[in-house]
Amino acid sequence: MILRRRHLIAASGRAAAATALPRIAIGQTDRRPSITIAVQQIANSAALEPLREQSNVGQRAFSFIFERLISQNLLGKLEEVPGLAESWKRIDERTVEFVLRKGVRFHNGDEMTADDVVFTFSRERMFGPEYDIGSSKTLFTSVLIRDSVEGKNLPPEVPAVAKRLFPALEKVEAIDKYTVRFTNRTPDVTLEGRIGRMGSDIISRRAFSEAKTWLDWARAPVSTGPYKVREFLTDRSLMLDAHEDYWGGQPPLKSIRLVVVPEVATRINGLLAGQFDFICDVPPDQIPGIEKNPKFEVLGSTIVNHRITVFDKNHPKLIDPRVRQAFTHAIDRQAIVESLWSGRTRVPAGLQWEFYGPMFVEGWTVPEYDVAKAKALLKAANYKGDPIPYRLTNNYYTNQVATAQVLVEMWRLAGLNVQIEMKENWQQIFEANGQRAVRDWSNSAGFNDPISSIVAQHGPQGQQQQVGEWTNEEMNKLSVAMEVETDIQKRKAMFKRMLEICEREDPAYTVLHQNATFTAKRKDIKWKASPSFAMEFRTINFATN
Amino acid sequence: MLAFTVSRLLRAGVTILIVMTFAFVVLRLSGDPALLIMSVDAPPEAIKAFRQAWGLDRPVWDQYLTYIGHALTGDFGKSMRDGRPAIELVMERVPATLAITMPALALKIGLGIPAGIYAALHRNSFADRATMAVAVAGFTMPSFVLALLLVLVFSVNLGWLPASGADSPMYAILPIVTLGAAGAAIMARFTRSAMLEVLGQPYIRAASAKGVNWRQVITRHALPNAAIPTVTIIGFMIGSLVAGAIVVETVFAWPGIGRLMVSAVANRDLAVVQALLMVIAAWMVMANFAVDLAYGWLDPRVRASASL
Repeated sequence: MILRRRHLIAASGRAAAATALPRIAIGQTDRRPSITIAVQQIANSAALEPLREQSNVGQRAFSFIFERLISQNLLGKLEEVPGLAESWKRIDERTVEFVLRKGVRFHNGDEMTADDVVFTFSRERMFGPEYDIGSSKTLFTSVLIRDSVEGKNLPPEVPAVAKRLFPALEKVEAIDKYTVRFTNRTPDVTLEGRIGRMGSDIISRRAFSEAKTWLDWARAPVSTGPYKVREFLTDRSLMLDAHEDYWGGQPPLKSIRLVVVPEVATRINGLLAGQFDFICDVPPDQIPGIEKNPKFEVLGSTIVNHRITVFDKNHPKLIDPRVRQAFTHAIDRQAIVESLWSGRTRVPAGLQWEFYGPMFVEGWTVPEYDVAKAKALLKAANYKGDPIPYRLTNNYYTNQVATAQVLVEMWRLAGLNVQIEMKENWQQIFEANGQRAVRDWSNSAGFNDPISSIVAQHGPQGQQQQVGEWTNEEMNKLSVAMEVETDIQKRKAMFKRMLEICEREDPAYTVLHQNATFTAKRKDIKWKASPSFAMEFRTINFATN
Repeated sequence: MLAFTVSRLLRAGVTILIVMTFAFVVLRLSGDPALLIMSVDAPPEAIKAFRQAWGLDRPVWDQYLTYIGHALTGDFGKSMRDGRPAIELVMERVPATLAITMPALALKIGLGIPAGIYAALHRNSFADRATMAVAVAGFTMPSFVLALLLVLVFSVNLGWLPASGADSPMYAILPIVTLGAAGAAIMARFTRSAMLEVLGQPYIRAASAKGVNWRQVITRHALPNAAIPTVTIIGFMIGSLVAGAIVVETVFAWPGIGRLMVSAVANRDLAVVQALLMVIAAWMVMANFAVDLAYGWLDPRVRASASL
């Protein structure tokens, strides 16, 4: 009896080995490395859903998982490149048609088709079932998929973000299995830009429908990116595995682990100790210390984000635009870049970026540094040195407090009496009690058109006007007109005029410098940083010595 | 004893209610969760929608009554960030925190009490001064400085231990040592003081004069009497087991209550902060209650006064 049992066990073992060994052999041939990346945060909103997490850190995490019809060249200048669409064409001023890439597989193995694209832009996923179809602001999807997602209510901020992203999208239609047509209610030359920006990421219809709740979906979204979510632990880690069926070729890494390490010193020590392969969000002042060690290097580049100082023109001392103009001329921006950023960023050409392409206004600059001019403006405005409050949070932005202290001294040289008021949070910064005058902000461009920045942030629907800091009738008319204008020369002229108004004539803000992000890594890894928070980890950008 | 227990429990309930009320009011007056969770760059419509969805646009008193009503039924609300019940989020972090604070408590007691006794018994000797010098250094050094020093030595230079994270028991060693070192120093100081006070009492001299073995004098007469102040300190330490590792958890990226607290407060995740404070307050109250009972067990005079 005992002998028989032994035989049985041995036979079972052989059978198991026969089944398992080939798999082990396959596993052994997979010599791809796995890496760990330490970050300050993975997602502020605890959700891996671009329609909720509209943050810089989210942009980084999403770059592994999601893809859009139109991608950005992360190793270039973020110019548009074909993504999940192999081509697209303009039908008319309101319509764009996309031909989808064939054979693209989602993380769950399904093939991506036009149905998934249509569903991505549907009310069930983006705009919410309550949206008023009869309204003049109608935004609906000509859904081929009418089956609703029971019990999966969208958080209210999701439709709000979606409506901001697509304020006049009329319908999205599947023409055939691999052709999708987007139609806007109004003429819109930025439609391609909107379809290519964060939030327009294509998702699997089946995976969304099968998730029990919206949060279940948002913790393990299914898209087509080179890495798929294995496990997401809020505020702790995000474990990603290679998406072996990735259309762009097998990813170079077996897995990527993002770990949340809030303290800079701990991230740096973890890198030096060999615990992490990459660390993100390295402050500029820490770079020399890391690079003293020959095994590590710091990569960084400017990103599509400018640090700005914002004015409240309702403050009694700032009503006269000449006082705000004096602020803009009293700043030696290059000195800030050299001293606080070790020259690793730059002073940009106002609130615009080169990836605007034909919309980039060549020759435009920030107001020149001219203390005498600032003094003359203050004298003309009859400014007598009355205190002007400058509300500040504690280093929400890199080098924020140090920059503010430098600015205050530069303004003092011109005769401006600016007084820093430290605030704990943004509610206190925005509090409109008659004492709001100067504050910090940063502006990004979601896509390659001024609509995504100067209009979105300083136009009539932008934050600055929504909180009542600033408004300008001509700027508002231009913003509305630019949304529907399709002639490139006219649009460019409108943009230039907006820059003149917002940065010179009636300053709403002044640009200080372009922001930059720094990533430290092992030197033996061949990898290039992107000019954005997104990280490129496809075959084209990873190798080890 | 029953009356004693009931009155303590009632006081505990009132304490927890006060903590919850205070936290509720202060949190709502000190920052807008919509701006913090959605980020300052979120569209104004999204901020507005968020406020409406979570009832933040209603008067504070209205929000408070709703909250207390739900809390009485065991519903402490949901996390605005995570969407899950706040109490569930808190309770799932408790084991991680206890995994470092309980061994750290053992370290504090195991190192601190013997060191304090040894120093007291060798008063004014080199050993006493050396022990106390180390103890003073231990509790005056901020925990984040000690943490970074330990990481530099044991992670960066020697490469023996990981610098941060919680992937295996090895990851807990540096946080435990950091927490334990400062606590052991405090414990050593208090034990030494208590022992010195007791050693100067007449009954110690009497016992010695009667010819009782010095070891017995220490173990039977001195130590039990010196235990009362030490137990008080241990009570405080037990009380802080759940909430006492905020800095250390942040420095070592340890996923416990402390980090949840930092993140929830920074994001004004109101329900989570309130649930955290309630759990911490309840734990503190329980620890104090346990200390009161321990007094009675250790000191017959306390038992006698309670039974009168």
